[in-house]
Amino acid sequence: MSEVTTSSDEAREWDDIARAAADRGDSSESLDEIHQLLSFEIAGAPYAVPVERVREIVRMRPVTPVPRSSEDVRGVISLRGEMIELVDLGRRLGLGPIESSRRTRIIVIKTGDDEVVGLLVDAVREVMRISDEAIQPATGSDTGAVSDLCKFEDEFVSMIELDRVLTLDG
Amino acid sequence: MREDYLDLDDQRSSGGEVDPDLINRLFRSAHSLKALAGMFGLESIQGLAHHLEDILDSLRLGRVPMDSPLVGLIDESIHTFANLLECVGDPEALAAFNEPVEDLSNRIEASAKETSAGGELESLEIDSALLRALTEYEEHRLRESIQRGRHIMLVGSTFEIMSFDEGLSELSDSIRAIGEVLSTLPAPGETPESQIRFSLLVATDLNIAELTETLDFPDADVQLVREGAPVVELPTKPAESETAPQAAVAPELESLRSISETVRVDIHKLDELMNLVGELVIHRASIGDIAARLTALPQNAQIGLELSKIHKSLDRKLRGIQSAVLEVRMVPMRQVFDKVSRVVRSLRRDLQKDVRLEVFGADTELDKLIVEELVDPLMHIVRNAIDHGMEPVQERVAAGKDAQGCIKINAFQRGNHVVISVGDDGQGIDRAALIARAESLGLISADAELSDREVLNLIFTPGLSTQSVVSETSGRGVGMDVVRENVMALGGAVEVESIPGRGTRISMTLPITLAIVQSLIVGVGEHRFAIPINAVHETLLIDTSEIQHSEGREILDLRGEALLLRSLAKEFELDISRSSEKQFAVIVGLGEQRIGLLVDRLEGQQDTVIKPIQGSLKNVRGFAGATELGDQRAVLVVDVSSLVEDALSRRESA
Repeated sequence: MSEVTTSSDEAREWDDIARAAADRGDSSESLDEIHQLLSFEIAGAPYAVPVERVREIVRMRPVTPVPRSSEDVRGVISLRGEMIELVDLGRRLGLGPIESSRRTRIIVIKTGDDEVVGLLVDAVREVMRISDEAIQPATGSDTGAVSDLCKFEDEFVSMIELDRVLTLDG
Repeated sequence: MREDYLDLDDQRSSGGEVDPDLINRLFRSAHSLKALAGMFGLESIQGLAHHLEDILDSLRLGRVPMDSPLVGLIDESIHTFANLLECVGDPEALAAFNEPVEDLSNRIEASAKETSAGGELESLEIDSALLRALTEYEEHRLRESIQRGRHIMLVGSTFEIMSFDEGLSELSDSIRAIGEVLSTLPAPGETPESQIRFSLLVATDLNIAELTETLDFPDADVQLVREGAPVVELPTKPAESETAPQAAVAPELESLRSISETVRVDIHKLDELMNLVGELVIHRASIGDIAARLTALPQNAQIGLELSKIHKSLDRKLRGIQSAVLEVRMVPMRQVFDKVSRVVRSLRRDLQKDVRLEVFGADTELDKLIVEELVDPLMHIVRNAIDHGMEPVQERVAAGKDAQGCIKINAFQRGNHVVISVGDDGQGIDRAALIARAESLGLISADAELSDREVLNLIFTPGLSTQSVVSETSGRGVGMDVVRENVMALGGAVEVESIPGRGTRISMTLPITLAIVQSLIVGVGEHRFAIPINAVHETLLIDTSEIQHSEGREILDLRGEALLLRSLAKEFELDISRSSEKQFAVIVGLGEQRIGLLVDRLEGQQDTVIKPIQGSLKNVRGFAGATELGDQRAVLVVDVSSLVEDALSRRESA
């Protein structure tokens, strides 16, 4: 039971990240479009997804493996009664399985068709505010899962092409 | 309708008050008869129904008194309908009725005229139907407005059901700016399902053109009820007559009230309710779990027992809520069957086939959602039966059959399932043509030896059934694969039986509800699965030595019959370190087909709310979804129909 947190804990965690993001959105706003991205880690490297596609972030919870499914799908999790597919994003990106730790998180992503899917990542970092000019196309992505890179605090963050990642199989 | 009439006659002759509901029901019967007759171009029935509707309407609104000649006319009309309906499809016999029907219509019309004397309320020159719907207060406001010389208008508008309260209050507000809303009445009439129509009785100083312009509601239509005049001499009512019409109105009001005791509910709201109940079911299981754990510890046993007591009573209440919600979702099959019989009638015309439809078990109830999903498959089967199953009349007569074909639809409950079968007395399925077609399409090899059932099941093969050519030669098979797909998606099964020259019967077996089902929880190694109990026939404890083998398949001797066994561990390629000597065989199947699923453990039955798995996993074959049993852990629900199908088709190809 210890690995299961209450939903209020999760809400707080998500609130903290969002508040931190809002605090940083200060006077320096330019006319460029500003993107809000949630950054997280896989195998030590930073990745990001658009904040508006994230429904919530939850801790690791019991996973029921599903026979006859591909290896990078961990299985099904029950999220307050909803049955949700959990994708091991490490495996899906070809970086090896995510190892469970205290920092492991499930990012619950809204898919196009009124559903959600869980993405398992090593750790969640923060919400970044990125202007258009900080974004450049990524080249040489094996899976097509990373569309662009963005520069944030002297580091290149890989932006995940969610619709591509969610339909990749095996 | 006939029964209602008999009741009416009884009530009247016994001298008692006639139940206004009864007249309303008769009125509605006449109305729907008129509409149906119109749809099928049966003018004589339509005409008569129209007249009957009129007189019943007057009766309903108290415009004409109920007397013997009138009741006689109604009786005669009902008899005539019965005669007319028997002759449907036979234009000559119908024509023979033209004269008596016309005569009867005229007499009804005359009787309506004779008796339609205006009552006191009519002196207001306002439709009495409208007046009767008003409350005393509203009536008072109406008099007042007329006295002040205002125009009385009826503003009608149609709203989407989902948002009608907003639209209606918007309309009312804008009217209030220029006049008074005397009454808001739901308006009867033909509106689409998702819409609702209201009429607002309005008193205003503006004339009709001004009102229409000021309102600026594109959907609203304005109708003048009574023109206002500077001075109106209103009949000032003496006190005693004030009560008289009121008394006459009372039963009508009462009937309006009793109609409004039923509520239309969006099915999605019921789904939401069901989901909430489902979540409560999960919590109940958690509480039960905690109670059991507490009771097991000596120092907490007392608290544990108290908690179990509460859990038990919670359990009873929850079951009550559950069955109440489930009951609300249940609708009789009649709705679908009525649609089917309409289709049969139009097909009969279009295809020039003489077919009658016999329906049994129309009161059998099913979950509303299932009923809706069932319409298309059922229509499809019936259409096939008429189009391809029925041979031409000459052939029927030559074969010594009744010239008129017969389609029988039968619905009945069997345990947790409802079986709906469609049988015809046509030519049956031409096996040879079916096999030939399947061979030519490469669906089966030329030397394949198929059992009769396997041959018949070819009609469900996708490639084959889309070929319309086949259907004409073999007798059937258009889109049967789609039918099977739809039924399987509902957790059901389809079966076909056919006797050459005698007919074909297609049976669909469906669960009564999809909302909450009892499941058998089974264990394989460390894995747990849920099997919907309605698909489980029995469970057996067997010794592995009892399992016999044939061509690598595992077979069990079940009371003399060979039962195909599938091990869930092998089926799902689970890592099982060792399997025990004793195993449980869960005999599952829908309809007639059975297989045994081998599992390590049976962990009891539980109420489960089966949820679809969100994401790409829902495409994994073999699972109907997942559920939670109270420990926040997902448990996969086995899709019995696909497992049975896979197991049996593998046998065929073996």
